[in-house]
Amino acid sequence: MSGVTFQQVTKRFGDVVAVDQLTLDVLDGEFMVLLGPSGCGKSTALRMIAGLEEVSDGLLTIGDRVVNHVPPQDRDIAMVFQSYALYPHMTVARNIESPLVANKRARVDADERERRVKEAAATLGLEEYLGRKPGELSGGQRQRVALARAIVRRPEVFLMDEPLSNLDAKLRTQTRLELVELHRRLGTTFVYVTHDQVEAMTMADRIAVIADGRLQQVGAPQAVYERPANLFVAGFIGSPPMNTLRGVVSPGTPAAVTTPSGTVRVADRGTAADDTEVVAGIRPEDLSVVPPGGEGVVGRVENVELLGHERHLVVSCDGHVLVVRQDNGEPTPAVGETVTLAARPEHVHLFDPAGSGRLN
Amino acid sequence: MATDRRSPALATAGWYVLLSALSLLVLFPVYMLVLRALSNPLEYIAQGQPLYPVQPEWDVFATAFSEADLGRALGLSALVTSIIVVVQLLTSVLAAYAFAFLEFPLKRVMFVMVVGTLLLPIEVTLIANVETMRTLSWLNSVQGLTFPFLATAFGIFLIRQGFLGVPGELRDAATLDGYGHLRFLFRVAMPMTRPIIGSFVVISFLGAWNQYVWPRFATDRQSWQTVQVALRSIGSDRVDRLNIGFAAAIVAALPLLALLIFFQRQMVRGLTAGAVKG
Amino acid sequence: MTDLPGAEAGAEDLVRAAPTAPLGPRSGDGRRRLRDALMAYLFLLPALVTFAVFAYYPLYRLFWYATHRQPRFRNRPPTYVGFSQLWDSLTSRDFAQGLLHSATFMLYTVPLGLVLGVVLAVAAHRRLRGIKVFQTIFSSTVATSVAVASVVFFTLVNPEVGYFRNVTWLSLNDPTSAMFAVSLSSVWQNLGLTFIVVLAALQAVPEELNEAALLDGFGPVRRFFRVTVPLISPALLFLAIVLVIHALQAYAQIEILTGGGPAGSTETLLYKIADPKNIRSLDLKAGLSIGLFVLTGLVAFVQYTLLSRRVHYGD
Ligand SMILES: Nc1ncnc2c1ncn2[C@@H]1O[C@H](COP(=O)(O)OP(=O)(O)OP(=O)(O)O)[C@@H](O)[C@H]1O
Ligand SMILES: [Mg+2]
Repeated sequence: MSGVTFQQVTKRFGDVVAVDQLTLDVLDGEFMVLLGPSGCGKSTALRMIAGLEEVSDGLLTIGDRVVNHVPPQDRDIAMVFQSYALYPHMTVARNIESPLVANKRARVDADERERRVKEAAATLGLEEYLGRKPGELSGGQRQRVALARAIVRRPEVFLMDEPLSNLDAKLRTQTRLELVELHRRLGTTFVYVTHDQVEAMTMADRIAVIADGRLQQVGAPQAVYERPANLFVAGFIGSPPMNTLRGVVSPGTPAAVTTPSGTVRVADRGTAADDTEVVAGIRPEDLSVVPPGGEGVVGRVENVELLGHERHLVVSCDGHVLVVRQDNGEPTPAVGETVTLAARPEHVHLFDPAGSGRLN
Repeated sequence: MATDRRSPALATAGWYVLLSALSLLVLFPVYMLVLRALSNPLEYIAQGQPLYPVQPEWDVFATAFSEADLGRALGLSALVTSIIVVVQLLTSVLAAYAFAFLEFPLKRVMFVMVVGTLLLPIEVTLIANVETMRTLSWLNSVQGLTFPFLATAFGIFLIRQGFLGVPGELRDAATLDGYGHLRFLFRVAMPMTRPIIGSFVVISFLGAWNQYVWPRFATDRQSWQTVQVALRSIGSDRVDRLNIGFAAAIVAALPLLALLIFFQRQMVRGLTAGAVKG
Repeated sequence: MTDLPGAEAGAEDLVRAAPTAPLGPRSGDGRRRLRDALMAYLFLLPALVTFAVFAYYPLYRLFWYATHRQPRFRNRPPTYVGFSQLWDSLTSRDFAQGLLHSATFMLYTVPLGLVLGVVLAVAAHRRLRGIKVFQTIFSSTVATSVAVASVVFFTLVNPEVGYFRNVTWLSLNDPTSAMFAVSLSSVWQNLGLTFIVVLAALQAVPEELNEAALLDGFGPVRRFFRVTVPLISPALLFLAIVLVIHALQAYAQIEILTGGGPAGSTETLLYKIADPKNIRSLDLKAGLSIGLFVLTGLVAFVQYTLLSRRVHYGD
């Protein structure tokens, strides 16, 4: 088993820089999720691990071997694709065994092969479908065949590129659990690409957030959620996304940010100096409605979204739209009403509006 | 156009009448051929060329084989056609693979070279190719009849198009599984493009079997005539032997009739390739 | 997307190692690329050699023959006389006549062939019991070669023994009608192809379009010309070009039915090139071949520009 290390890895397609100086250490046995919006370069990063794209610059290591120029079939990795990429003309059994047949180095004798196919099929509950062709399977079954084909070769690293995006919502939730379970059982390194933050949050040991080809932050899901490194991560992780308010740090303790629509108390001002402009970030659940006249920002309720288990108040404050997450038990303001919103000071994030980096 | 609103039954009947009339139009020439093949030629003319057979001679087909050397001509056609189809398939698949899946210097130049042959059908190069064959002493030879057709731009384009339809992720998966080029070609790319390859084989067979101009001029001995070329003697045959020539024409069309009946889908797909896609 | 600085926070998880380690054996990619290229050349070799020897070299030879005069005596080498000889061939009576006859053949075969193909396809494009039988009948002439079709028409139009020997407008003995009679054999032989292609195009027209046009109140005739014809126009264009090429390459039907006569009135360009009675000089035939090459190129050019502009709704 082995981890994967990117050292200043860059990938260029002509003028397009798809991955820009990526430095990232995927630990041995870890479930690492590469998360980012469409086109940010996460598939490219994954395909470089697989050897499907050449590294333009930097060092890529699997285990303790630099693999920049190692051909894909010699890298000891397996990959699950978004479209599953099953051979349509082969039976499930032949699909699963194909890495053991096609790859000269991985070839094993027929008995061993059959044993391993059986084992992989059993792991994923595919025994009864071994004789069928992919076209005769449901989407979820095909997905499992792709997984079986990956595990049959017992690779050092599993690579998955949005493997759940072709499944319906219910199946996606179920397969998420199964993948986590599979990871636990195999104990192998997983590198998993997705743009779905729920997948990332629920499955990952650690998340690497990527935007525009650059790494934004790496960390455990909860850590990334609680301490987003910059405005991008703050806005990308969490649903509904973090509210942002521009303001000026007022002198004095405890610190506060003065915005056109009111004051936001901050427990930790970090490196934010007095009288500088900052962006205050507040998660919807950290905002609450306080009695009129209290300290906070004042705005007008534009909409109340009822979600059953909770409510979202959409409040407009001097051009900014803030979303407040409320429990059903709390009193509901009416649409059009003016409300005062206060943030929990220990949960206010401060960002530099110019560089967008975190200040506290 | 139908007046289907008024009386569906009447309209349907009308369509059947029209379809039958058109069928008659298409089939009448064939009927005449069969009629003339079966009738005794002189008696038929003597009776004023009626629309029914006169003194049917069913052994005319046997006579064609025994007297007109039809068996030899058919054998040569079969041999030449088989060689052309098999080798064309091979050269087209290999070239298509290179164009679809491999990167190499001068790829564009080579592709243009393939496209360029569309301007150089055998009709254009006939004179020069015949002279080449004369120089090589390949007139009246199997290699002379087949070599100019061992590769075809149509096949390369068609199969390349099929290969390009293999999804990128599937190619990546095959790479990771460790497929080499030959293995990928024969185990994945070709099986996945079987319908297109089938169409190509049918069209290639059609073209090779039906050839006339090249075998006509690449040979100057009767013993090297393919069945199509042998048909030309009809114009110089004695009138009392015309039925043999007519019978030979029927026999020459039979393999293709079988092709049409058993491989209709492939044939339609092959003939319409390019028409719909552009 | 906003421009954001690179990885900064979360640095506790981030191992920043300067890329000082060697890049590993670089040769891996290079060797793979070389191997791919060699493989590609190997794969292309059979096709390209065939094309070089039997398409491109002959093209060169055509120009060579067209610019050299063959010696009167076999033991002397041909002499270079220059492109003026090619020019003479291309301005010769033979070329003009062959061109005229080929054009006449085209005029008789292309429009008629298209119209009949459309008629057959429209008639057979409907849900009726036994329609498959009719479709098979209409496709059947694809099973005939030009030679077979010529023999078939021999039974119809041969001046001595043909069924229509007394029909003057089909007479092969009359220079004014001979070409038309020969053309009919090609029209008939091409029916299968045109039918198949047009039918496939009709079947590709989405049913909703016809239904929408029906709801819009178009009558069947207007529906056909306003909806169907534009949608099948790429197929019709393709067929027109194929039929033009077939016409340029017409040979067997002429040799079998008329032998070029009467009075050379059915000698198309290719017939003059192939020259079965061997009465023309090699340099003239080479010159005529170059003319045919240019015509083929023109057709291909038209085909290419039309197809790349796309006559239809595009996709
Ligand atoms: N083969 C290629 N040639 C040129 N540009 C490419 C190529 N592959 C990817 N790119 C570019 O690199 C960038 C990153 O692409 P990548 O596929 O890694 O994005 P992604 O994060 O996986 O997005 P998605 O979520 O949509 O799959 C994009 O701008 C893309 O256009
Ligand atoms: Mg992607």
